Amino acid sequence: MSAPRIHGIVLSGVGGQGVLSLAQIALEALRRSGLHALQSEIHGMSQRGGSVHAQVCFSESPLTSPIIDEGCADLLIALEPLEALRYVAMLRMDGHLVVSEEPQVNMEGYPPLDDVYAALKAVRGAHLVDTEDLARRLNHRQAGGMALLGMASTFLPVSLEVWHDVISQRFEAKGARITEKNLEAFEAGRGLVQDTVGV
Amino acid sequence: MVQNTLALGAEAVGCAAFDAGIKGAFGYPGTPSTEGFEFVEAMIQADPARVARWAANEKVAYDLALGMSYAGFRTLVTMKHVGLNAAMDAYANSALTGVRGGLVLLVADDPGMHSSQNEQDSRRLAKFAWLPVLEPSTVQECYDFTCRAFELSERLQLPVMVRLVTRLAHCRAALVRREVLAPTGLGVAPKETIQDWVLIPSNARRRYVDLLAKQAGMVEDLAPMNRLVAGTSRRGVALAGMGRAYFDQLALEHPELRAMPRLEVAAYPMDPALEPAFLAQVDEVFVFEEDYPVLEERLTFQRAGKIHGRLDGSLPRTGELTPRLLKKALGLPSADGKAASTLELPIRAPRFCDGCGHVDAYEAMQEALRNLGVPDARVFGDIGCYTLAAQEPMAAIHAVVEMGASISMAVGAALSGQTPAVAVIGDSTFGHSGLPALLTAADSGANVTIMILDNRVVGMTGQQPSQALDQVERMVLGMGIRPWRPPSGIPGPRWWSSAASASSPCAGACSRNTTAR
Repeated sequence: MSAPRIHGIVLSGVGGQGVLSLAQIALEALRRSGLHALQSEIHGMSQRGGSVHAQVCFSESPLTSPIIDEGCADLLIALEPLEALRYVAMLRMDGHLVVSEEPQVNMEGYPPLDDVYAALKAVRGAHLVDTEDLARRLNHRQAGGMALLGMASTFLPVSLEVWHDVISQRFEAKGARITEKNLEAFEAGRGLVQDTVGV
Repeated sequence: MVQNTLALGAEAVGCAAFDAGIKGAFGYPGTPSTEGFEFVEAMIQADPARVARWAANEKVAYDLALGMSYAGFRTLVTMKHVGLNAAMDAYANSALTGVRGGLVLLVADDPGMHSSQNEQDSRRLAKFAWLPVLEPSTVQECYDFTCRAFELSERLQLPVMVRLVTRLAHCRAALVRREVLAPTGLGVAPKETIQDWVLIPSNARRRYVDLLAKQAGMVEDLAPMNRLVAGTSRRGVALAGMGRAYFDQLALEHPELRAMPRLEVAAYPMDPALEPAFLAQVDEVFVFEEDYPVLEERLTFQRAGKIHGRLDGSLPRTGELTPRLLKKALGLPSADGKAASTLELPIRAPRFCDGCGHVDAYEAMQEALRNLGVPDARVFGDIGCYTLAAQEPMAAIHAVVEMGASISMAVGAALSGQTPAVAVIGDSTFGHSGLPALLTAADSGANVTIMILDNRVVGMTGQQPSQALDQVERMVLGMGIRPWRPPSGIPGPRWWSSAASASSPCAGACSRNTTAR
């Protein structure tokens, strides 16, 4: 009897960036793909510009623990470069890191950006995304998160159709234009991975 | 109607309460319990037959629920673990009165203190009150146990606690719902039970005997929720709550763990015969439970075999359980993952919202204290988003204990001769337990200066309505504080200096919104 594989995604960023929304979209997409999925989030004190992180676990077997151990995550989606470095050790040896290059400097002692980028580039399986440039190109200030999810989606067992359905439903209440912009950002992110990694 | 919904653990409790036909939900916000109330509140907004109300504090919330139960309806009351301290008088005495309509108390504990001042274990408070507590380990169990808790509450005619911890309260998963029941009244507590509700000593003595007599029935009623699972190993595990959730998942990945006999506990009080029966099957036991070593202590008292857990150092004495800690205790290898970053990563602490008036208020206070020649003044703070001022570099408050403590501590310090004696409290905390403290402050005549930071919402927990909205100034004057102008204002040093140099109790409300510009 072989043990079922348990997969994990870690999402990190700064309060207000939408970490929890991305986690919820991923959770719903995995669940609709017939997988068992759980999401864990820690907030409260962390809402006010502090570090925020969430986890999503999924498997073909029913799960009970919403959190995974260090060294067991398949994917880390980080909306902020320093917040990526905090969780790199959560990744498996062959895990992927999808990270925004855009720093949020709202505290003392933020390390030199070049050091942060160098540390990220030293992580095997790291994909750095210039979300600032992407947002400018798409004329959509908040495109970054959805673009990172788009890039990350290429590592997840969810069909494009399911992603589109879940994203559309998520933004339905905000109108057709907002939904369109988010789908566009998601697609842009998916496109990036083909350019840079050639998956 | 069976539905498949995504919900947090806390939300699943609220959802179950709605489906179980509650007439009303009450609570006071507190992480990680808040979502339990907000979920059922949203459902109730679409149902004019029901009510959902935040209360001024947890005790008030509990008493609202008890009154609704007296009137014959099912009701839910929600709070965080330390909130139960504030409601403890109501909770412990409702064990003696008993309930009429089913009363379920959602309490969310915070092991690891993600956003709390302690990690007390509510299972201990339930035992203290001689009341049953159910402890789910999955989101579906949060729902199922809550439905069960209402039935149990009406069968035993006692309040029933559902205890969550942060990881479960904030775990999101799919949920299968049951049929939605409409609120059905049992009618007000019948005449022949009136004396049960009147806790004068003669009745209370009788009701305490009744409560103790209910214990055996309680154990019997809860028995199906606790079980022994036989195994072939002489090493066993005792599991409760998230300990069970983490172990079950580890056993998926490590099939050898399934050979361990288990004691699974999901409801207290438990049958005292379970432990010796379990210990007879094993030489060694690992206890995985969240927070205090409740099961572990019970097993340790039996003194049969080696018990591993928080008491013998197999697990850390404090803090949250994690899958890694379970692995370590069981001697399982941890995965080799990527190396942690060697770059020094500074903490990104929570901070005041941009443009927050509290920052202006604190800066004004600090400047005024410097102007008065007391740059090292000690200021008593309180619980809320304004507690962030305790952090460097602001370091504007020097004591934070529990809701409402700031005012009373300042009075106590003033009575010992400390000058200036300054308290800082937010509007919602003021409504929660600052009011009686202010009454005593006014009556004492002590020379205290109280700053009420009024942002018109409960800021820390997601901007719930503040019950003191637009009433702060009138409440202060109503307490007999000498009228002092301006009692409210946009914070500024000159305004504040006149407050701090007053010689009798003085309270000022700082608000950007309540003051006409």
